[in-house]
Amino acid sequence: MQFTLKRKSEEASSEGVKSHFEAAIIGAGPAGLTAAIYLGRSKIDAVIFEKMVPGGYIVSTDWIENYPGFPDGISGEELGELFEKQSSKFGVRTENVEVTGVNFKARPMIVETMDGSYTASAIIVATGTKSKKLGVPGEEELIGKGISLCATCDAPFFEGEDIVVVGAGNSGIQESLYLSKFARSIRIIEFLDHPTAERILLDRIKEIGKIELLLSHRVTRFIGDDRLTQVEVEKRDFNQKRVLDVKGAFIYVGLVPNTGFLKGSIDMDKEGFIKTNQELKSSKEGVFAAGDVRITPLRQVATAIGDGALAAFKVRQYLEGR
Amino acid sequence: MGFLKEEDKEYLRNEFKKNLKREVELLHFTDKNDNSDYLQSSKALLEELVELNDYLTLTVKDCSDKAELEAEGLLMCPSTKIKSSRKGFINFYGIPAGYEFSGFVEDIIDMGSDNLPLPDDVVLALSKIDEPIDIKVFITSACPYCVKAVRTAHLFSLANDNIKASMIDAYGFSDLAREHNVSSVPHIVVNDKVSFIGALPEKEFLSKIMESIE
Repeated sequence: MQFTLKRKSEEASSEGVKSHFEAAIIGAGPAGLTAAIYLGRSKIDAVIFEKMVPGGYIVSTDWIENYPGFPDGISGEELGELFEKQSSKFGVRTENVEVTGVNFKARPMIVETMDGSYTASAIIVATGTKSKKLGVPGEEELIGKGISLCATCDAPFFEGEDIVVVGAGNSGIQESLYLSKFARSIRIIEFLDHPTAERILLDRIKEIGKIELLLSHRVTRFIGDDRLTQVEVEKRDFNQKRVLDVKGAFIYVGLVPNTGFLKGSIDMDKEGFIKTNQELKSSKEGVFAAGDVRITPLRQVATAIGDGALAAFKVRQYLEGR
Repeated sequence: MGFLKEEDKEYLRNEFKKNLKREVELLHFTDKNDNSDYLQSSKALLEELVELNDYLTLTVKDCSDKAELEAEGLLMCPSTKIKSSRKGFINFYGIPAGYEFSGFVEDIIDMGSDNLPLPDDVVLALSKIDEPIDIKVFITSACPYCVKAVRTAHLFSLANDNIKASMIDAYGFSDLAREHNVSSVPHIVVNDKVSFIGALPEKEFLSKIMESIE
């Protein structure tokens, strides 16, 4: 049995109310926590905001095997805990509060939270992403009634049941492996004619007899009154529809950025991912973006870590050059 | 060997020393005849915790003592209620393991201090509620988002003691979870009438409570 202890940074433990910082990091996932380590070690007076638990999206990931340093793999929960433990040593203050708005025009810039306003001379946005929904009929109504976006949270409710996983990327396949410990059968529905997950993961699902891949299929409807009972799928090109009897559906079809609170204050693409240059500068002076929240060709723990380090380095240069 | 690492104990000792201003009792109901790991671990963890500060005490009672359970306003067992002279009903059905442990520690600190980390307008709105509210927050220990929902419910109880708030381990109390159609967590049920999914911000959580009153 595990007991996870969230720590306040030493700085936060000793200080009272304080509202101005040289730098503010929004989001305590791998990118934000790495930035906190680098800023803390540079003795930059900084704060990191997190509305949920530190660690970011990875804390709901069952197992991570492609982040170096852990040859046998590590659970997302444990990795997030280690990141937090390391970052809390270097004096960056942690505020467990949701950021609700920003003013990047003001100098110093303003970060609005549920607990009041803070100001900072430089800001790193590292708020990451959340799961994308499909946007098909029945989905909104049945989320929490058989449809889930978090396998590690909800898998035990589907013990011995037939379920579907939507999406055959790394997340969909990895979480299917975890769900296979509980479910009786899993059908993975993928719109493309091939899965996009790493080969090693695909080999593993072959070893587990109860997982079937339905390629070139898309979900067109979730069916059920008070509880999901069926999923309607359509085969691409042939326009053939059929209905699968299931008790659960887990959706891993991509990510949407957590940038709603920015309310268009910096340049983003049409999905809301932040535009940055190679130095991770956004369109607003003094505002940087790091990790999955920015436009980037690969969203992994390893790439987020690199982003966090670079963003912190650029913040330091920015603060020194003013 | 204990459940808490020495460095965690040191951290907790400091946090308790810095924050606790009054006695806090952990009232634990368990089945004394059940030697399962689940129940033994729960009790052992609480014993370790109360060793860390003189303000903390542990009272262990048996599940068979229905009159005591009822007197405490509790429905099921095992459970741990955090009590002090501060008003509020903060309870955990099942073990506050995994991510819930941090919330459990924060709840102890709140009960033993005058902390109320909620926005002023939410506190004001909560203070006007003059009828009984029961909040059940179903969780699983591997859910990283659930602790936020449990904390919000417990803070609401500190803001107004008409509100009773309990964490419920959905796996440990699977019959009740099924009764409430729980298949995703956090799943929150207010007055057995309004239910919703997710760790909502305080104001939205409050609006669900108001919905249950209307």
